[in-house]
Amino acid sequence: MKLGIITGVVWASKKVKELDGCRMFILQPVAINGSKTDSPLVAADPKNIASAGDRVVYVTSTDAAQAFDSGFAPVNASIVALVDEIA
Amino acid sequence: MIFAKVIGTIVSTQKDEKLKGKKLLLCKEVDHEGKPLKSYHVAVDAVQAGEGNFVLLSYGSSARMTETTKDAPIDAVVIAIIDDVQILHTVKS
Repeated sequence: MKLGIITGVVWASKKVKELDGCRMFILQPVAINGSKTDSPLVAADPKNIASAGDRVVYVTSTDAAQAFDSGFAPVNASIVALVDEIA
Repeated sequence: MIFAKVIGTIVSTQKDEKLKGKKLLLCKEVDHEGKPLKSYHVAVDAVQAGEGNFVLLSYGSSARMTETTKDAPIDAVVIAIIDDVQILHTVKS
């Protein structure tokens, strides 16, 4: 899992039913100090926890589907936690 | 997931049994503004997308996780037709 900052929203009314009610965000991967690392990616927010500007924890690859209750969704990245602070 | 633009369809009569009845779309990878990038994908259509559509594409083993593509020999699927992309926050440096 990695840290990222939500920079944008992707609006799509027509999507596969596995993604019904799930918002999609543009996420900028960041280092521990908050600076950019990789290029931005699109991530699903199955638990509805994020909004623009938030720092989040996200998971990629096959494991991203596990963030959905069904465990079955065609996503490459999912937001799994909202960072309050790094202590 | 990546942004892509549908630039064509693949017509094929001889194909794997598990691909029968599935539409194959030729998709050019684009950035969030729709500007074309170098890469492309041949992706299965799961949302009745058509040529010219700005879409969201999922790749790799995750692409098999839709009702349309379950257990099929594929590695890219079009999962949504994008209406709009809004940039609301910028990360410095």
